[in-house]
Amino acid sequence: MSAAPLLRCTNLTIGYRNQKAAIKVVSKDLNLHLKRGELVCLIGPNGSGKSTLIRTLTGIQPPLCGEVFLCNRGIGEFTPSDKAKTLSVVLTSQVQAGYMTAFDIVALGRFPYTNWAGKLTESDKNIVLSALASVGAGDLADRFIHEMSDGERQKVMIARALAQEPDMLVLDEPTAFLDLPHKIETMRILRMVAQKTDKSVLLSTHDLNLAIRCADQLWIIDRSGTMISGTPEDLVLSGVFGSAFEIDGVHFDASRGEFTIPVDKRGTFSLSAQDSIERIWTSYALERIGFVPADGAVPDITVTIQKDGSKPAWTLSHAGEEQTCESIRNLVEIISRTNFQGR
Amino acid sequence: MNPDGDGRGNGLKRFAFALPLMSGILAAAFILDLMLGSVNIPPDAILTIVAGGQVKVTWMNIFWYWRLPKAITAVFAGGALALSGLLMQTFFRNPLADPYILGISSGASLGVAFVMMSAGICGAGALFASVGLIGDMSISAAAIFGAFAILLLILLISSKIQSNITILILGIMVSYISGALVTILLQFTDETSMHTYALWTFGSFSGVTWAHLPIMAVLLVVGFVLTFCMVKSLNALLLGEQYAESMGMNYHRIRFAIIVTTALMAGVVTAFCGPIGFLGIAVPHFCRACFVTADHRILVPGCILVGAIIALVTDIISNVPGTDIVLPVNAITALFGAPVVIWVIVRGTRFGRGVTT
Repeated sequence: MSAAPLLRCTNLTIGYRNQKAAIKVVSKDLNLHLKRGELVCLIGPNGSGKSTLIRTLTGIQPPLCGEVFLCNRGIGEFTPSDKAKTLSVVLTSQVQAGYMTAFDIVALGRFPYTNWAGKLTESDKNIVLSALASVGAGDLADRFIHEMSDGERQKVMIARALAQEPDMLVLDEPTAFLDLPHKIETMRILRMVAQKTDKSVLLSTHDLNLAIRCADQLWIIDRSGTMISGTPEDLVLSGVFGSAFEIDGVHFDASRGEFTIPVDKRGTFSLSAQDSIERIWTSYALERIGFVPADGAVPDITVTIQKDGSKPAWTLSHAGEEQTCESIRNLVEIISRTNFQGR
Repeated sequence: MNPDGDGRGNGLKRFAFALPLMSGILAAAFILDLMLGSVNIPPDAILTIVAGGQVKVTWMNIFWYWRLPKAITAVFAGGALALSGLLMQTFFRNPLADPYILGISSGASLGVAFVMMSAGICGAGALFASVGLIGDMSISAAAIFGAFAILLLILLISSKIQSNITILILGIMVSYISGALVTILLQFTDETSMHTYALWTFGSFSGVTWAHLPIMAVLLVVGFVLTFCMVKSLNALLLGEQYAESMGMNYHRIRFAIIVTTALMAGVVTAFCGPIGFLGIAVPHFCRACFVTADHRILVPGCILVGAIIALVTDIISNVPGTDIVLPVNAITALFGAPVVIWVIVRGTRFGRGVTT
């Protein structure tokens, strides 16, 4: 609470005003603030107004009411060049540029600082190289952008935004095209950027699980355009997070912090084993095929895990019969074949 | 993008190597263009003429009043066409964009067709037939007027419209409309004017006299200088309009500058040489593939050089050395240029292949 927020807005109303002066309010009474070193994830269903908010906060679109302050200065008062030195963006749309190396792309981030011809000074070059290195893309410098994978390209685009030396980074769905490991890596890079360089990072995303784990603050817009902000853990505990996203049949499991896939219940299980990784994954497997923990009641099936040396073995007890299996696949097959009277 | 050092900046290094080579080729092509034609002038005679000596009067006349202005015109026109093609390809981020995509040449054609028709109606067709050389001042004026009218229209529309794809489509539509009007106008012209019009559409570097050459050269040099001033913004535009704006570029100003500069260069070349096609679309691709870069600080001078060379070579071929035949420049640019470009693009390099903007 000590430092003044880098970005703040009070009673902001966002939306569109078309030529006939008709006003479409997307969201109103927004009171948001973003401190240095903080990473904020903006989440919300499609069409809830994430993009409108980002466009308003970055000054591309004027607010209907209220004002956005960046470094205690109204966003509308910035000259384009000053704004570029304070705020940089990574857009959703993929860059399609042939014959450009990663170095070339990142060097474009120096645009607000270079002369009319865009000549890079020695310090500009160092900034470009260290921006590439800081996202772990130092070895990509000489590679052409059109022959990179989506994950590599995203790193380069983040490096470009960093080379602009902004106080704040705004990213529109930076994880959208990436596979899970690259999503996590991108978030790791952004967290590191926020913490190490004391920049603020605002990103919109659809990856809720990741947002809960990575963000210092969540800004949630629900379908009606209502904005809720807070620390992810607080929002989960108060049940706000779950209710903002649950749809028919999809339930947010607050204890695990993830959305669960609905399955038809087939019975109950009890699992006797030491606390181990095998125990966790066995219970996941049983839940996947429709069994829930018995929680003290008499279970339909009992599974025991023994571990002799390195190889675990599963023993299934059901209606007085015992069967031993050497893999979870084996266990699941046997359970699936068995008819449960209670179903 | 980064001059020297760090093992990067290959594009610029390549270019530093290629620049003298390209200049040499340009000089060679220029001299060949002076030598070759229906009457071949030997190199020693050229030297004598340049040194102020005396050779055969016909050679002197051919050299001073025909070959030299023609070669200089080719250099400027070739460079300008290539450069305006580059501007349009970068602006629209479309590999198929060419200098005429905004409808500039269609406007020029409309102007020319209109002048011819009115001349025909006023019974002044004979006048045109007598002095009806390509590059005749009234044709040039008409072309410039037509190109300028289309430019104003495009600027007016673009001030109201955000998306440059919309501008692209509007430019194409304007071309169709002017094309239709030209067809209708031609319907009512006499045969001589129609022939003159057809000759104009073939394109030629030989219509520019010493009286007109300075005007053309000055206007095109203005276009070159304007383009050089835009290199930084052109590079930023490679990432797209939104990124460029987020880096502090004033998009509306640059858009205005690009459209006006392109129209200036394409309009002037069309007015003096006719609607010469192909060069504008092909040379930028050729340069990107040759220099393996998208950096406009290399592509802008590269396009001027390569455009000039190709225009000179085209001119040499179209004048079929040793014969009286003169082929349309437009046919030669495409006929000989297209296979070269196809080869460059399809051959591929270790940096990938294909057309990229």
